[in-house]
This record gives sequence, C-alpha cells and structure tokens, in this order.
Amino acid sequence: MPKNLIFDDKEVAFLRELKRQKVQFMIVGLSAAALQGAPVVTQDIDLWFKDLEDPNLRKVLKKVGGILVPSIGLNPPMLAGDAVKLFDIVVHMHGLGSFDEELRKAATVNLGGSRINVLPLSRIIKSKSVLGREKDRIVMKALRDALHIKQAMFIRRRQT
Amino acid sequence: MKISMQKLGRICLERKTSLSEVLVQSQVSRNALYSLARKDSVLPRSIDAIAAHLNVRVSDFLEEEDVLVAKSRLLLRMVNRIAEKHPGIDRDNIRHMFLLLEEKPVERLRRALVRAQKPDIR
Repeated sequence: MPKNLIFDDKEVAFLRELKRQKVQFMIVGLSAAALQGAPVVTQDIDLWFKDLEDPNLRKVLKKVGGILVPSIGLNPPMLAGDAVKLFDIVVHMHGLGSFDEELRKAATVNLGGSRINVLPLSRIIKSKSVLGREKDRIVMKALRDALHIKQAMFIRRRQT
Repeated sequence: MKISMQKLGRICLERKTSLSEVLVQSQVSRNALYSLARKDSVLPRSIDAIAAHLNVRVSDFLEEEDVLVAKSRLLLRMVNRIAEKHPGIDRDNIRHMFLLLEEKPVERLRRALVRAQKPDIR
C-alpha cells in the first residue's frame, strides 16, 4: 500500500485486530455512511464499542501502540497513538437502541479482508435527526439521498 | 455476432463479480440478456448481410464507442432513472454515490477523510 495515505495499513490492522480479539464494536457516524457509498466528508472514524472496559480492547491497543485515555471532565474517552488517532470513541448513540439491539440490524463492509459492522444509513439518519445539530442538518440531505438510492438499487436487484 | 454466455461468465469471474450484480449495475434485465443470447446474431440482419456480401467480418467495419464514453452514458442513464422515480434527490448525489460504489469500501472512506482535510491553498 502506498505511504502517506490517510487511513492506511495501520488503521486497517487496528480494525482487523479488534475483530480477531472479538472486541464488539461498530463504525458509526459519517464514516459509516461513507463506507456505504454516501457522498459525505468526515474528519475521523467514529467507533461505538459495546464495552470500553473489555480487556481485549486494551490488548489490541497495546499491540498497535495505542492507549485509551479515560474521560476527563466534559471530554469523552479517546484513543491516542499513531495507529488510532483517526478514530473517535462514541459512548452513546442518541435516538437509537442499545448496542446489542443496533448490532442485530448492522450492515457489514469488507475492510482489509475483514467484515466490519457498520451502522446502516437509516440508523445514522435516525440518530442525527434526534441530535439536531447544525452540522448534522447540513449533511442530512446527502444521507437521505444515499438511503433512497440504496433502496432503489435494492428494488432493482430484486427485479433482476 | 452472437453473445457467448461462457465468455461473459469468465469475465465476471475474473472481475470477481456475479452476472446478477453486473445486470443490476448495467440496468439490464435477465430476460433481456437471455433473449439476446438465444439469437444467432445480436446485430441487425442488414449488417450481417453487408458483411457476408463483402466477405468480411462485421468487426471490420464496426467501430466501438470509447469505453469511458460508454461508461459515462450508462452512468447518466442510471442517474436519470433514479432521479425520475425520486424527483427530490440531488442528481449530483446520485452520480457521486454510483461512482463511490464502484470503489472498495476502504477507498470510499479514504476519499471522505481526504475531502474533509483542510485545503492547501496557495
């Protein structure tokens, strides 16, 4: 893989190792939408973990040279280290069910040879509509269009 | 000139895709493909007649449309089809999404991350 790529081998290795160690997580937010083809931009990759206290998570972080920085004041917990600096931790998804409930509806994408769980477009839209932040309102059109396009392609696939 | 389902199948295999997926992406129904595949020639009889008279292959006087042009036409047809069914959808979003879905997921994510970086304006 060429060097100086944003999101390269080390990030893929982190996700692959999370899967290997059976850490339960899914990619959420606009990075999840982008993975499903939505024409959006994002500055980081949001990860929703079932349990931040999972010892296997710490094992994975140690292996890739990262650490989990616990929540300080109003700041949520975060990941630090070269291989994990693009990832953000999401501790709660507004407007959605529990992690296990959402995991049952999760989509999967192939990243570096591993099938990674991602929050489906419809659930991303649900969560952002509840949050109601200005930056979310701006992106909603692209997300809704992406969902309609995917549904139209699914209908087409069933007709073929 | 007739369709070789064997050759088509081989190309799909080489591209690590399925015929079903190809049909969906090209917006061609299975019936349409199999109907064409049953014919002795997919070209009009007049073209075969001219080739036979000149004792040449039809490919000797047929020109292929540039692949990129053909791909672009197909993409725009797909955009039109979806836009007609969903008038509120932004056409650019449809076009960009189809282009993104041709990429592997990791590439889609890279593009999203790169576009979000601050531009280097000189």
